[in-house]
Amino acid sequence: MTLPQARIERSELLSRLEGPLAGKLRSARELLRPERRSEPVPTVWGRAIPGLERLLPAGFARGDLVELTAGRSGGRFACVLALLAAATASGENAALIDLGDGLDPQAATATGIDWNRLLWVQPRDIREALAATEAALTGGFPIVALDLGLPPLPGGRGAETMWIRLARSARAHGGLAFVAAPYRVSGTAAATVLELRRSQARWSGTGGAPLLLDGTNGRLLLHKAPHLEGSRGETLVFSASRKREPRVALSA
Amino acid sequence: MSRIACLEVPLFPLAARLRAEPELEGVALAVTEGTGSTARIVAASRAARRLGVRAGMTLAQARALVPKLVARARDAAAERAASTALTEIAARFSPRIELAPDPCSGVVFLDVEAPRISEAELGRELARAARREGLPAGVGIAASKLAAQVAARSANGETPQIVATGEEAAFLAPLPLARLAPELELARTIDRWGLSSIGDFARLPAAEVSSRLGAAGARLHAVARGADPRPLLAREPPPDLSEGLELEWPLVTLEPFLFVAYAALERLCRRLETRAVGCARLALELDLEPAGRDARAWELPAPTRDAKTLLTLLRLDLEARPPGAAVVGFAVTAIPGQTRSGQGTLFGTPAISPERLATTLARLFALLGGERVGSPRPIDGHRPERFVLAPYTPPPPPLVPPLMTRGHELDSGDRSDGSRPRRGAQGLLAVRTLRPPVELEVQVEPRQSDQEKAPTVLRSRARESDGRHLEIAGSVRVASGPWHLEESWWNERAIEREYWDVELDAAGLYRIYRELAGDRWFADGIYD
Repeated sequence: MTLPQARIERSELLSRLEGPLAGKLRSARELLRPERRSEPVPTVWGRAIPGLERLLPAGFARGDLVELTAGRSGGRFACVLALLAAATASGENAALIDLGDGLDPQAATATGIDWNRLLWVQPRDIREALAATEAALTGGFPIVALDLGLPPLPGGRGAETMWIRLARSARAHGGLAFVAAPYRVSGTAAATVLELRRSQARWSGTGGAPLLLDGTNGRLLLHKAPHLEGSRGETLVFSASRKREPRVALSA
Repeated sequence: MSRIACLEVPLFPLAARLRAEPELEGVALAVTEGTGSTARIVAASRAARRLGVRAGMTLAQARALVPKLVARARDAAAERAASTALTEIAARFSPRIELAPDPCSGVVFLDVEAPRISEAELGRELARAARREGLPAGVGIAASKLAAQVAARSANGETPQIVATGEEAAFLAPLPLARLAPELELARTIDRWGLSSIGDFARLPAAEVSSRLGAAGARLHAVARGADPRPLLAREPPPDLSEGLELEWPLVTLEPFLFVAYAALERLCRRLETRAVGCARLALELDLEPAGRDARAWELPAPTRDAKTLLTLLRLDLEARPPGAAVVGFAVTAIPGQTRSGQGTLFGTPAISPERLATTLARLFALLGGERVGSPRPIDGHRPERFVLAPYTPPPPPLVPPLMTRGHELDSGDRSDGSRPRRGAQGLLAVRTLRPPVELEVQVEPRQSDQEKAPTVLRSRARESDGRHLEIAGSVRVASGPWHLEESWWNERAIEREYWDVELDAAGLYRIYRELAGDRWFADGIYD
């Protein structure tokens, strides 16, 4: 299509829209907003999460609220740390709003997080957690991971309006709000919704030898994403790091 | 020959009051000294003067003339703050400044020898800077302090009065003698002699004046001739900045206090900006009724100049720890700290501007407290729960962003049961620490392989600290361990634990341990 043609079609389209939209739109800015929303800047951080590259080849978009849910030992915290490790390794500053107070810096060192670039915030309840997330997004952090810990969540799941406000804040400041929760909390505010399902743990060692935890197997499901119809899934494997703790096995 | 500029705020007590309460601008206002029937007016606003109110009147006399006259007592805190603000303005134009002996006089001198711009332009800039700070000041520039001060009083708005070197006597001659502010007794004597202008007085023989009026008269005579021997005594502005107010009536609720405190914080932040610094430590002093005092202070994670953030800090702390009595006055003091500076990059990862980062950190600090915001660091030791929080000072981003590596290759390894896994992506399993550890009731039975007592059934107990109950219960499907941990065996805080990795039938992979000292079981992590 040549440029003059494109101009004609655009003006025709606008003239057709004028009638029905005249009563709804108050300014041209409102017409431009949906156009901007459809063109977020893609980031590559999503590749840090195992399996996501195949489900979302473009990765996550800056300005989106992404929600990841998983039950216990589903690999949720591992995904959060992997995302933070990828962001800090690329030279970005990142914030972890850790409602469950679950970060163990010694164990998480193996993920490759650059501690100098990670801001760790430990709120006491959901209200503080949402306020801290919004403050970090407003402050220009390009990625803010909010991990809600384990149920029961202190302060409940938060009002849906608060999540919508958070999504708008992420959009306005161009930051990625990554929410990791034990169950769905953000309602319609999330642009992308993922779920992790654990299938089983893998143990090594048979017979009389002591067993060692090798990791877990699971499945990553993409329930909601821009331009996605239906759900998609991807098998994934989490390996346990033996560098976590200097342990000595007491064999019989 | 030195050149001295004088910055003088006329009716300084009134100007300081209006700076603290700008909403009184344009109102018929009188600033008084003393209490009750002895209260006398020391300065009145233009609107009040137009209605006949004059300095020296009692408040009752003034109210008889203007019943709706707004009266405010002199506020030492506001005047001190205004005086320091004036010093800071002067310090922006010259490194050598001197405050008048009375800090509440609203006069400051500065050395302006060899300025980079013309003296007229310098004077205008000085006056504009003072006006922006809420202090309408006159500017005079001359070779001596006295001539500069008299010139400042003759200045017209933002246009400075400049006296050329050697022209001091000629400049002073036509002015009324009152401009030299002689002592009362001396003024009466000179008046009896029939002298009215400074020039008339200067023309008298110096020896005769000295013999009749003494040392004070001789000094005044020298000044009238344009000779001011007083040198400029330079001083450093105080390191900390303070703003405050004595309140007209005691405040018992938080919101009205925060309203006046916000105005003070905004003034404070403006002053920090003129010094190109931020607030590294904020202190609040409250004067309480009837004679109490409350002081509190906060170390900020990074110097900031965001008044709203500082106000949030005050609000949260006052809500958590109310002062317990009505507030009759307050002062907020900022200890300045160098704000961070950063160099942007054209091609690399964009960095958060240092100012914005400092404001964000201060907001989080205000919201959560200093011990809940920072950069985590692993520390030496074996206990998994150990960590330390360091101040968050991220390094500048790399000039060229590093290439993302694909760290998650396809898993091609075998499963423990010997079967080949399906194609799947691989990640690193993490441990979610439970702080504090959850106490467990555990059943143990000897293991078949080595007769080691291994956990077989778990059930969590409710936490006593916060009443929250993290439900961990079920039969153990697989237990791996024990992993022995011993730390600080050389002192009384020795800990000895046996760690197990357990998978429950219901759900969850847990890291649990037995405290050998009390034979108690805890879960301190979940593989997640």
